[in-house]
Amino acid sequence: MSSTSALDLVALRPQAGTQAFFRHRPIGDKVLITGFEGNWLLLTREDFGRFAAGAVEAGSELHRRLVAGNFLRAEYDVRRAVAAVKARRRFLHAGPNLHIFVVTLRCNETCVYCHASRANMDQVQTDMSPEIAEKAVELALRSTSPFITIEFQGGEPLVNFPVVQHICRHASRRAQELGKQLQFTMVSNFALMDDAKLDFLIEHRVQLCTSIDGPEPLHNAQRKLPTMDAHQRAVHWIKRINQRYVDMGLDPTLYHVEALLTTTRETLPLWKQVVDTYIGLGCKALFLRPIDPFGFADRTRLRLEYPRSAYLEFYRNALDYMLELNRQGVQVLERYAGIFLTKILRGEDPNFLDLRSPAGAGIGQLAFNHDGKIFSCDEGRMLHEMGDSKFLLGDVHTSSYRDLVGHETVRAMVLASNLDGQPDCVNCTYQPYCGTIPTFNYKNQGSIFGRMRESSVCAVHKGIQDLLFEKLAAGDPAVLTAFDRWTTHRPREHFVQPTPEVQPEPSPTAEVQPPAGCDSVPL
Amino acid sequence: MTEASIYIDLRFARDLYAGPAIDEAIKVFARFGEFHLSEAPDAWCLRLRALRPAMTRRLAHELANYALGLTVQRGGAT
Amino acid sequence: MQSAYPDIPPGLVAHDLTAAAVQLQLDATLYPLQAIYGAAYIFIDRCYVFLDRPRPEQVRVVLTAKGGQADPGALRALVGEFANELLSCAWRHQVTLDNRVLLETVTMQAIAGAMGQPSLDDLASFDFSDQGFDDPLGIALSWEEKHGKKAPATAVTTDTAATEPAAATPGEESAP
Repeated sequence: MSSTSALDLVALRPQAGTQAFFRHRPIGDKVLITGFEGNWLLLTREDFGRFAAGAVEAGSELHRRLVAGNFLRAEYDVRRAVAAVKARRRFLHAGPNLHIFVVTLRCNETCVYCHASRANMDQVQTDMSPEIAEKAVELALRSTSPFITIEFQGGEPLVNFPVVQHICRHASRRAQELGKQLQFTMVSNFALMDDAKLDFLIEHRVQLCTSIDGPEPLHNAQRKLPTMDAHQRAVHWIKRINQRYVDMGLDPTLYHVEALLTTTRETLPLWKQVVDTYIGLGCKALFLRPIDPFGFADRTRLRLEYPRSAYLEFYRNALDYMLELNRQGVQVLERYAGIFLTKILRGEDPNFLDLRSPAGAGIGQLAFNHDGKIFSCDEGRMLHEMGDSKFLLGDVHTSSYRDLVGHETVRAMVLASNLDGQPDCVNCTYQPYCGTIPTFNYKNQGSIFGRMRESSVCAVHKGIQDLLFEKLAAGDPAVLTAFDRWTTHRPREHFVQPTPEVQPEPSPTAEVQPPAGCDSVPL
Repeated sequence: MTEASIYIDLRFARDLYAGPAIDEAIKVFARFGEFHLSEAPDAWCLRLRALRPAMTRRLAHELANYALGLTVQRGGAT
Repeated sequence: MQSAYPDIPPGLVAHDLTAAAVQLQLDATLYPLQAIYGAAYIFIDRCYVFLDRPRPEQVRVVLTAKGGQADPGALRALVGEFANELLSCAWRHQVTLDNRVLLETVTMQAIAGAMGQPSLDDLASFDFSDQGFDDPLGIALSWEEKHGKKAPATAVTTDTAATEPAAATPGEESAP
């Protein structure tokens, strides 16, 4: 990403004894240090040399900063460190909050990178039945998380709309009976949307997400409908839905359709057009996700894939452009950055399940397939559709909730994704903010542990965090203001299912953040 | 692995392979060949041949893989 | 087996193109057995993997390509990949030992947080005759058990799965 010369550690003459535990990494002409609990400081190379050599003068500005940052052994505040670690691991106290319901594999679109293992529109046997749906709802609501999100996916979930409706009604009623806070989200291409469906979805407060791959020619080339107008249809309904929210008196900066991007090779040179497209649609956030190795994307990998260095260059260009727009008063955020910055600047974990330690597979999310089989995560379900059932936990007919989350596969994934046990990560400066994806490691490297030095996910995470810390080191006030805004969480209460009675008292140990992803909007 | 005419000899070091894992592997592949298991102080010695002689080498490989997999799943040789 | 990798110190790796196999001689003091198992297990889906003990301080790993054919480049890549995985497993083994308490604490909290307290129905269906959990920290041991005399060297083992050993016959020295 940027030119960063390596530290000459021999010349530094490090002397242990005065420092609390820390890791370090050069960032431009500065050195970033992070502590065990995720505290951080950017030091000049001279100051880092003094710190490493144990030669920090008491009463100096450097000494003051290091004490304030909890980096000196003699003044180390254990209670503060404990509180910080607890805050970062708050999600451990509750079970899965995200429950993916794959209501059908049928899809009316054919996307070049699709990893949903789609089925043709005549494959009705891939529709989830109401009976399976009800059993899945019961299991989801058994979660120890007081806050449950049911996310409708497919295929294309609108294809099996009757079951979507059934789930909304049944789950809302049961959530009220059980005292759970519940919300629904749907990931749809919108091509099958109509007024009747929209009325139902609006009435039942289903948060709507869609995919926009950028400008119309790119989107239509990658997401194919027989009518070759996937982009136009998506845009039409984005505008209709956003207008409905306005008509309802909801704040459009908070309530609007969320759009998701999948970055293919064709996307990389179009960073400006992609950002402009999203802003033109009223979107306040982009999630610049790189392509992943599941499903169709696996088969078309050679055509769509790209070196992660190319992705990081795309990311830098798009991020710089978005920051410039923010400077001009256009509020738009990048989600990857928002997730990392929440951890870095706020000391909180936004509970994005693929970016936490341990990862959310099985303990933060479950995926319910159309046939009632249950998986640790959606990627595990996709691997099953590709012929590998290693991440199958059970099924709605025979498995209890505790069977699922206590499954040996879940335990293995928890261990494998704990960065305190991961070579490379144990020494990585970004360890307090990062995460690994066991299914991705397994698919690409043969084991759920993976080897981070060769991992493209690791390369992306390091690259993004390098860029963010470069910005923090540069200290541009406009950038810092934007970053602060990107970490400000504004809950969207409208999407939480209403309960007629008094809200139940939250469990004292289950201080779970509202889930990230489609829902959380740090703006 | 040595091949003496139509037989192959496998020598499984006792501190590397679990005896029960080898027993189980032999049971799994029993219908594909002929197996003679004996012991040395530091190893289990398995002489085998496949019912189809051309498959003997493959049988030896598959059985050894299976025994190794079971050994690892058991947590080791002991 | 023939040695054919000038970029690897002699005596560590050999290959046999006819058999599509490579042999790695591992220093058992550098690579814990658990790490060798870990790396070997990851390869058994695409290779035949055989472990051998030519000397007490050495483990020999033989990787044979499935399908029976491999060119020198493919075999050299196999050696490199296995060595990388082995290093990763060895380091992970050390990291796990160093951070064991932290890993166990977080795992227990994650699973306990997800599972929650058992309901009466869960307790009713629980198999109380099942063996208890392992006790690696010896928490359940009494002081006398923990600090008492060591068990005699000829303690009887109870490996009920082992078959009756046949009369020991010297095996042939073999290399797969």
